[in-house]
Amino acid sequence: MTKQIQDAYIVAATRTPVGKAPRGMLRQVRPDDLLVHALVSALAQTPAIEPALVEDVVVGCAFPEAEQGLNMARVAALLAGLPDTVPGVTVNRYCSSGLNAVQIAADRIRLGEADVVLAGGAESMSMVPMMGNKVAVNPRVFEREENYAIAYGMGITAEKVALQWRVSREDQDAFALESHRRALAARAAGGFSAEISPLEVTYRTADLAAGEVRTTVKRLSEDEGPRADTSLEALAKLKPVFDAKGSVTAGNSSQTSDGAGAVVLVSEAVLRRYNLTPLARYVTFAVKGVPPAIMGIGPKEAVPAALSRAGLKQDRLKWIELNEAFAAQSLAVIRDLELDPARVNPHGGAIALGHPLGATGAIRTATLVHGMRHRGEKGYGMVTMCIGTGMGAAGIFEVF
Amino acid sequence: MSETNFIIRKVAVLGAGVMGAQIAAHLVNAGVPTVLFDLPDPEGGSGIVTRAIAALRKQQPAPLAAGGLEAFIEPANYTQDLGRLAECDLVIEAIAERLDWKRELYHKVAPALGAGAIFATNTSGLSIEALAEACPAALRARFCGVHFFNPPRYMHLAELIPCRACEAQLLDQLETFLVTTLGKGVIRAKDTPNFIANRVGVFSMLATLANAAKYNLRFDVVDDLTGPKLGRPKSATFRTADVVGLDTFAHVVRTMREGLPKDPWHGLYAAPPWLEKLIAAGALGAKSKSGIYQKKGRDLLVLDPASGRHVPAGEQADASVLEILKIADVAERFSALRASAHPQAKFLWASLRDTFHYVAYHLSDIAHSARDIDLAMRWGFGWQRGPFELWQAAGWSRVAEWIEADMRAGETLSQAALPQWVREAGRTGVHCPDGSYDAGGKRLVRRSQLPVYRRQLAPAALIGERRDLGETVYENPAVRAFTSGDGVLVASFKTKAHSISPEALEGLNQAIDLAEQRFRALVIWQSEPPFSVGANLEALRPALAAGDWATIGSVIARFQSTSMRLRYSLIPTVAATEGYVFGGGCEFVMHCDRVVAALESYVGLVEVGVGLLPGGGGCKELARRAARESRGDLLAALKDYYMAVATAKVAGSGIEARQIGYLRESDVVVFNADELLYVAKQQALALAESGYRPPLAGARFPVAGRTGAASIKAQLVNLLEGHFISPYDFEIGSRIAEVMTGGELEAGTEVDESWILALERRHFVELLKNPKTQERIVHTLKTGKPLRN
Repeated sequence: MTKQIQDAYIVAATRTPVGKAPRGMLRQVRPDDLLVHALVSALAQTPAIEPALVEDVVVGCAFPEAEQGLNMARVAALLAGLPDTVPGVTVNRYCSSGLNAVQIAADRIRLGEADVVLAGGAESMSMVPMMGNKVAVNPRVFEREENYAIAYGMGITAEKVALQWRVSREDQDAFALESHRRALAARAAGGFSAEISPLEVTYRTADLAAGEVRTTVKRLSEDEGPRADTSLEALAKLKPVFDAKGSVTAGNSSQTSDGAGAVVLVSEAVLRRYNLTPLARYVTFAVKGVPPAIMGIGPKEAVPAALSRAGLKQDRLKWIELNEAFAAQSLAVIRDLELDPARVNPHGGAIALGHPLGATGAIRTATLVHGMRHRGEKGYGMVTMCIGTGMGAAGIFEVF
Repeated sequence: MSETNFIIRKVAVLGAGVMGAQIAAHLVNAGVPTVLFDLPDPEGGSGIVTRAIAALRKQQPAPLAAGGLEAFIEPANYTQDLGRLAECDLVIEAIAERLDWKRELYHKVAPALGAGAIFATNTSGLSIEALAEACPAALRARFCGVHFFNPPRYMHLAELIPCRACEAQLLDQLETFLVTTLGKGVIRAKDTPNFIANRVGVFSMLATLANAAKYNLRFDVVDDLTGPKLGRPKSATFRTADVVGLDTFAHVVRTMREGLPKDPWHGLYAAPPWLEKLIAAGALGAKSKSGIYQKKGRDLLVLDPASGRHVPAGEQADASVLEILKIADVAERFSALRASAHPQAKFLWASLRDTFHYVAYHLSDIAHSARDIDLAMRWGFGWQRGPFELWQAAGWSRVAEWIEADMRAGETLSQAALPQWVREAGRTGVHCPDGSYDAGGKRLVRRSQLPVYRRQLAPAALIGERRDLGETVYENPAVRAFTSGDGVLVASFKTKAHSISPEALEGLNQAIDLAEQRFRALVIWQSEPPFSVGANLEALRPALAAGDWATIGSVIARFQSTSMRLRYSLIPTVAATEGYVFGGGCEFVMHCDRVVAALESYVGLVEVGVGLLPGGGGCKELARRAARESRGDLLAALKDYYMAVATAKVAGSGIEARQIGYLRESDVVVFNADELLYVAKQQALALAESGYRPPLAGARFPVAGRTGAASIKAQLVNLLEGHFISPYDFEIGSRIAEVMTGGELEAGTEVDESWILALERRHFVELLKNPKTQERIVHTLKTGKPLRN
């Protein structure tokens, strides 16, 4: 067995603003371009590190095809101006892909195999839909009824969690409203300014009458998802989307989104050599499997597993970024693990901020690091999420 | 051929109210670019019109024949855009019924009109002559009334009313455009208040109201008596008033009161007190959610005029009276009605009698012939029979005597004597094969000889008229095939709702044989809609009850082979559709070389409704089309077709049927159903003239295979888990997926048509064996509605 021989530190963590998909502000921006922006912005925060020092670029993506296919990590590294010598790899574990990218990057350093690694995630749900452009399910799924759940849409699994864990519609809607409230409050207090790297977007339309391309340029610096105009009454009016008799609505589910995030990880040696101030130390990561039909409960297994690996009690976690795939599964996890609601998503979650699948892990790592520092919190924090086909992942960081 | 073509390049509609916007919608349905005008919004733009256009998408029944057509209506306003009128060859004014507003508008737009443009008003009540005088003098030669009925896409009637100065040629040109391009039934009306249809229709409603009061009948009972059971629309009398709007109804009545001071029925032209009270209370009918009828939760309430309160509705007419209405022979039916002492029968007779009395008295002032009144009532009010033809069928002189007897007894609503021509010796009616009676000219007039009507080879005939349905070439109990000597054999179904029975299959095959032997082409056309409701399941029931699967299997095989013959026979086959084109009917249509669809063709493979799948080649045809259209991703091309079958999606128009893919881009949509046969024959002959050969049989095409089926099932399982479909729906859906993806094959494997036809047969029979499918069939046959089990 290989031993960890050194720690990995985060010295930069940033992300794009997150847009709504498929009709939002980033609908025309390619995911690899979003990723380039995140990578360049992250490196810009650590000018001491020469790009040539980067030993790998690890990028998460949940549907790595079409605009985000062709090993997006390597393509984006080259487009970001990194030298030819910097390799890249795209990894996929659906919604934890971005967190797995951070984990893989950190582990390379922890094993002493690398000193500087870029990690990130990117997803355009505007351009590549859930399940990808070409769905081709294995016929064996339908040979045995117990495998049907492999084909379940995420919404159905959320309904099953809501039913099994008895999460009421009212509680889900209240949770969703609170997500928006926290996100807006955090924005108003400048809570996202350290983590978001504003992006300039050029929109092109065909002016058919003039026979010309019309371009408009916008500078985007805020997430598109949080809504000030929502209310319990408005949320209560929404119809269930996935189950005619269910409780999961568009309002109490995460938003489909576009976005990218990037993190620079380095070894202790590099920290010292370049006299860098670390934002956080990578502590550990765990991933667990659960029945696909109740995939949303995944963090219930992953969170204790990660804590146990780190030798930490749950109450040491000061900030938990629990990806709000659905209010139903978030509440089920919070209740079963007895998490402190005040420490879970203090800046709001995916219901308000959006969930660009494979990018989320990297994006929320940036939120955790900068969110804690914004509030002057020091200590342990966690990024955790449920994962399609029944998994949960959790990563622990020590924020300075 | 020196005459210049008359082409309407573009139309402007002035006024974006419901009527104006819906006329604009129908124009773009017909492929006519349209500019819709209204006042500028407070910001000076065309927001009013933009909103009216957006609202079209939500209105029911749909004014637009397919989604997206609204984008072809250009919004405009009178301040900024009058310059755009110059390119419009026809301008239809449809603003509020105020002479002063119309005059102001006419003077504003007149300078902007193109030199030859036709200027028409869609007024329903104002005098065309008075409106012509409101026009600048130079415009009058190009001014007339075009009165569309609401909703303009669906109501066949358009009344055309010239002013005195109007050029005759212009009217002919406009009539031609209205008939062929917009598919309307045009009646030339005289310039009298409310013209023809509203004059008679509103009188009939007022007479119904008066007689209902006289015989003390509840309003819901009156509606039960005066709806479909009397050959009139479901909305009958009072519900029609609610739908029209009680204020609008009262306005039309007022127009008659003011415009017809010397009319013998003048006293009747008044809104009853209960109606005035409803209007005063803001209960205007459907648009204000309360009128004569009112919904309270799930209950329907109806006004009790005596108390002024709404009481639970749903009371039905007396069974003995309804029995009378079922008598097929019109003369016997009228005898029984008049003989009955039941107040409901007396009411019905009285209402019909007063209407007969009225139209006879007014025929010479309001219409050019009795036919125009009858057609106007059929086309504008949805009556199955007009008043004159009913009277004629009931026995002309007998009914005239009854009217006079009732008059003497003081029963009629007016004492105006019947005109002399009614009682002429030897008169047996007003319609005969030589023409219909014109009371003003005291002569018979034939149907219009305008060239456009040569395109109507066999228009629906009134009682007394003759309809030319050619010379019979072949006939069995289910099919008649005829020819008019033009080389085309026309096959028509004789079955109820033109369902497809084993005899119909036999007849159609015989017709194909005959066409191959002696004709140049075969057209399938029905003498009245629907085209076909699909396979006759009733005919399968004995075999089903006996578990005789061999017989059932052979019927399905026969169905499929008939579809295949329609494609591969040596002569071109053309289907001419109108109304429902369901199930097996749709499958036949999909296999013809060409389809000529009336706009109002409602096309769908609806088999899942009865727990079956398309077994006559429908699944096969869509799988084959998907393979042809696919550019690499076969499943992507198949998916929408699959969903159409699995959800029994019915196209709401011929245009939508083309969008969904039941029809092909090469298929033709015709706006006037009376032109269907003509266009179908033209298409058939053109194919024959082009050196027709059927496609080569045996062509191979790839299927989406097991992975395709699994990917479809992945969606179904989510619908199942989400309680949107039942477990049995899931089974049916899975079987359709298996058939359309080619069964147990890998994606991309090439098959031929017979491969998928065999899968259709197998799964069709397996579904039919399932008790749940049998329950669905029995339920649908009994109730006419689908069962979800």
